[in-house]
Amino acid sequence: MGGATPLSPSAGELLAWGLDPSWSRRVRLPGADGRPVDWHVLDTGAGTHGTIVCVHGNPTWGYLWRDLLETLSPAWRVIAVDQTGMGYSERGRPRVLAERIEELVTFCRQEVKGPLILAAHDWGGPVAIGAAGSLEIDAVILGNTAVAKPVDVKVPPLIAAARSAADLTCRRSPLFVDGTARMTHKEHRAALRAPYRTADRRAAVRDFVLDIPVKAQDHSYDALGVCADVLGKLRCPILLLWGGNDPVFHDRFLRDLTRRAPHADVQRFHDAGHLVMLDAPVGAVVSDWLQVNASSRASPEPESTFRSVLAGVLERSSDQGAVYIGPEGTLRWSELADRSAVAADVLRTDGCTKGDRVSLLIPPSPELLVAACAVWRCGGVPVVADASAGIRTLRRLVRANAPRYVIGTRATLSVARLLRFAPGARRASFGAMPGTLNLARQSGTGSKEVVVLGSFDTAAIVHTSGATGPAKAVRYTHGQLAAQREATTRMFSPDAGDAFTTSFGAFMLLAPLLEMACVRPDFDIDKPSTLGFEQLSAATNRAHVTTAWLSPASAKAVIASAQGRTVAIPLVMLAGAPVSTSILHEIGVITGGDIRTPYGMTECLPVTDGRRGETNGSLGGTGVGSPLPGCEVRISALGLTGQGFVEAQEWGEILLAAPWLFDGYEHAVDVDVHSTVVIDSQRFHRTGDVGYLEGGRLYVLGRSVHVIDGAEGPLASVAIEEPVAAALNRDVAAVGIGPHGTQVVCLVLSGEGPLRLAPPDLRDRARKAAGVSLAAVLEGALPTDRRHESKIDRIELGSSVNAYLAGR
Amino acid sequence: MRVLVTGASSLLGSTVARQLAERGDAVSCFQRRPSNTGCVDVLGDIRDAQGLRRAAQGNEAIIHLAALVAPRPAWSDAYAINVGGTAHVLDASVECGRLVYISTPSVAFENVASVGEEAEEARYTGRDAYARSKALAETLVLERMSVPTMILRPHLVWGPGDTQLVGRILERAEQGRLVLPDHGRALLDTTYVDDAASAIVAGLDRTGDAPEICGRPFVVTGNDPRPLAELVQGILTAAGRTQAFRSLPAPLVSFIGRGVGRLWPNDEPPLTLFAARQLSLSHWFDQRETHAALRWKPQVNVDEGFERLRSWFERQDKKTLR
Repeated sequence: MGGATPLSPSAGELLAWGLDPSWSRRVRLPGADGRPVDWHVLDTGAGTHGTIVCVHGNPTWGYLWRDLLETLSPAWRVIAVDQTGMGYSERGRPRVLAERIEELVTFCRQEVKGPLILAAHDWGGPVAIGAAGSLEIDAVILGNTAVAKPVDVKVPPLIAAARSAADLTCRRSPLFVDGTARMTHKEHRAALRAPYRTADRRAAVRDFVLDIPVKAQDHSYDALGVCADVLGKLRCPILLLWGGNDPVFHDRFLRDLTRRAPHADVQRFHDAGHLVMLDAPVGAVVSDWLQVNASSRASPEPESTFRSVLAGVLERSSDQGAVYIGPEGTLRWSELADRSAVAADVLRTDGCTKGDRVSLLIPPSPELLVAACAVWRCGGVPVVADASAGIRTLRRLVRANAPRYVIGTRATLSVARLLRFAPGARRASFGAMPGTLNLARQSGTGSKEVVVLGSFDTAAIVHTSGATGPAKAVRYTHGQLAAQREATTRMFSPDAGDAFTTSFGAFMLLAPLLEMACVRPDFDIDKPSTLGFEQLSAATNRAHVTTAWLSPASAKAVIASAQGRTVAIPLVMLAGAPVSTSILHEIGVITGGDIRTPYGMTECLPVTDGRRGETNGSLGGTGVGSPLPGCEVRISALGLTGQGFVEAQEWGEILLAAPWLFDGYEHAVDVDVHSTVVIDSQRFHRTGDVGYLEGGRLYVLGRSVHVIDGAEGPLASVAIEEPVAAALNRDVAAVGIGPHGTQVVCLVLSGEGPLRLAPPDLRDRARKAAGVSLAAVLEGALPTDRRHESKIDRIELGSSVNAYLAGR
Repeated sequence: MRVLVTGASSLLGSTVARQLAERGDAVSCFQRRPSNTGCVDVLGDIRDAQGLRRAAQGNEAIIHLAALVAPRPAWSDAYAINVGGTAHVLDASVECGRLVYISTPSVAFENVASVGEEAEEARYTGRDAYARSKALAETLVLERMSVPTMILRPHLVWGPGDTQLVGRILERAEQGRLVLPDHGRALLDTTYVDDAASAIVAGLDRTGDAPEICGRPFVVTGNDPRPLAELVQGILTAAGRTQAFRSLPAPLVSFIGRGVGRLWPNDEPPLTLFAARQLSLSHWFDQRETHAALRWKPQVNVDEGFERLRSWFERQDKKTLR
């Protein structure tokens, strides 16, 4: 039986499985035992950029990489190998991990010239990573895999079961092969089973399972240790494509991998299973990722002039001035330095090291700032949560971030524990609490030890609210934060002793970054409308407040409760959503200040600076001013996702690049895979907003998902709404209903109660004011988001309008 | 071109005949009553195969509009006129060379809202005798057509002199029985009669130069959907009435429709279950394929239609005064 060479799959079979028959070929190479082995590979042939060698796991074969083979050629040459004894490669010679690694190295040296990328899945992971130690490689792409069993994890039960009766489950019966094939969609099953039809052909499946080392005595234990070591030392870009629904390699294995390779990018597919390469559109993701990682990343400040936020805090360690003033108390710069040193000691002693994700479930307070600085002192990465997104979203994001530590209050830690936000994470709080680290330990003053931070090190992860799409975890490097500080302070050049106040919870973390004191008004942080005039004026009395960042809901609340009173604030920034001219005017009267409406988002803040109404664009929309120096704005044609950049004719999606543009989405959860586009080797962020540039100024026309896709071409909702809102003097929302490409426009006038048809006189005035043909004019309450209480959820509104008019 | 139009005494039929005559086609009209179109009338019954064949002789095309449209026709009548009549037209068309068959979107109505959909396959599942007979007729055309055949389904055709939509609304208003389901919220595509006619004329021309689009039904609308309430109010206003309608919940209207439709003594009950459901569910369509296939677009939007209807009513009133 030794050396039996199965036939390659027939052209008919390959076609039926969606593979190009010309890809299938055989390769002879010197085996690890000195005798030649015969491999079957799927090889797309010549690629312009380089070669991607794909290594499957057990018990799959090259078919697993179908999407990559299809999507990436001809830009890349993709070779999916069948490992010895598996797929359509030679049978009958048992292999251990070290031998498989050796053979893969031989294969790559023999077959590949030029840039090389290794892709691997399942137990192909250790083989590829092991080989990476002996090869010059440019990038690594990994699916659900492991290089070590995390200490807090048992052997996956499915593997344990397979091992205990390996011959029966894996060779004599097709149980293991079938079980694996059933983890993905039906259409893939025949192809996955095909090379493993008889017991003879399944021998290597059994041998592979038996070779998985679980204890030190196992044959390949040391070899796997070497692989883990290699992964820790890899400096090339790494992409982890992770199926979130995998009973074998679950999220704790993901966390183990990201701990070993903190610079890895993670694209997590929430609903994909173990065979993520077949369950998810990995080809498109890899294509985008390679585009970005093959080109230079937008580089922030040069290293020499770089100064991290932490360095700024440490410099002021004897400053008695306040950095935070809130209803819970005041925090001085010196206290921030001292208390964070103590907390950092506790974390460091517990093992917190560079790159560790630390989830901060702390409402804005002195402790939030102390915790963030303590994490930075250890080289860790604070993950700043946004509770306003709702508990389910919060849980999903925290879980996906797989933090090593969770720092919270008694209440938030209990919730996190009860709902299993972060299974296996260490819990910490300021104060004694059983089973948690006490970050406020009174012994000693804390060592002054800090980890040196570089501009490319990850600095923070901030959750978006999900007000305008799925909530995401946005990652920044220290260099990007430093660039953000420069851009922001340039907008209002603060003097020493100046303070700011805000209705945005996350902005309070900017205090140490901007080196300005933050005054937190006494209001419910999750309900911006509870920040009224009383609260604002009380806050300004507590420090020399020169700047206020307000959400539109807060601005409205301040106006409603001012009753003719005034409070002097030299600069008011209204951000978060477009606001009407009357609000701008009234806030101007109340504060006597300069009122600005900068544009930006969690991924890139700030983008522009300007005052609304300064100029009017020819296509309508909200004028948000000119892009800040260093920030580049491009307008991309709509509906071309995945096709690169095409300049829009009139208006289109707003793309942004800036030194302070975020680094990427962390463990992207259900995120549109095309959020990045590279133009002239510069990385641009697709904002999902639409607008246009005119005379060097940017005008925003709303969200791209709110664009009405009519038969005569796309219509921006904002451009339809504005003239009607002005004519009727009330809030309106335009939504498109019906299938894309033939949507019709319906207008909803804000009012109390459920949706209904607008009365004839209002309807006729609205029709007259709108520049386009309207199918229906309705009246009713407009749904708004939770964080800003002002962004109209046009998607929800659209589906209600659709249901109402359909008669459902 | 020499064209035979069947059913030219109807609003749509007479408009088609006039539009064809205006552009110089030699039009003859086949129906039981004079068409008042100024074209040659060949009076006859569509159930009379011989009479139809004689009328068709010498023509190059037939436009078949004749149909029994009633809220609750007897099945034997609906079958004889709508299915049998169409069979006679199919036979007669063999010698003419081209056929435009006028169907209705009701053939595909299955108690669900249409939200921007394209023409779907005809079904016989409807309870309504008219819709069922038209579905059968359309299927017959698809199976037996032997010459280039255009199948058009104009939706809710209305205009001056319309006895169906406009006529019924005004009649109900006069009787004080104007009741709309759910405040008349259903979004409906309608077709102003001039547009429906020009679409048919365009369809006739396309049978000559685009055989590839033949034998496939196209829905034709004015592509300007409006809520039912707005249509009703617009028509009432155009007729000089300032009357409000009453609203009842859609299920109640359906319930009444079911009862009245069954028990009404003659074949014109004021409401049927089919009508109740059609008026409480949205009906608007994706017109992109229709526009591309016919190289035609509607010219009269709903507001312009109201305006034309209003001036027509004004002229009518003046005539009456004189």
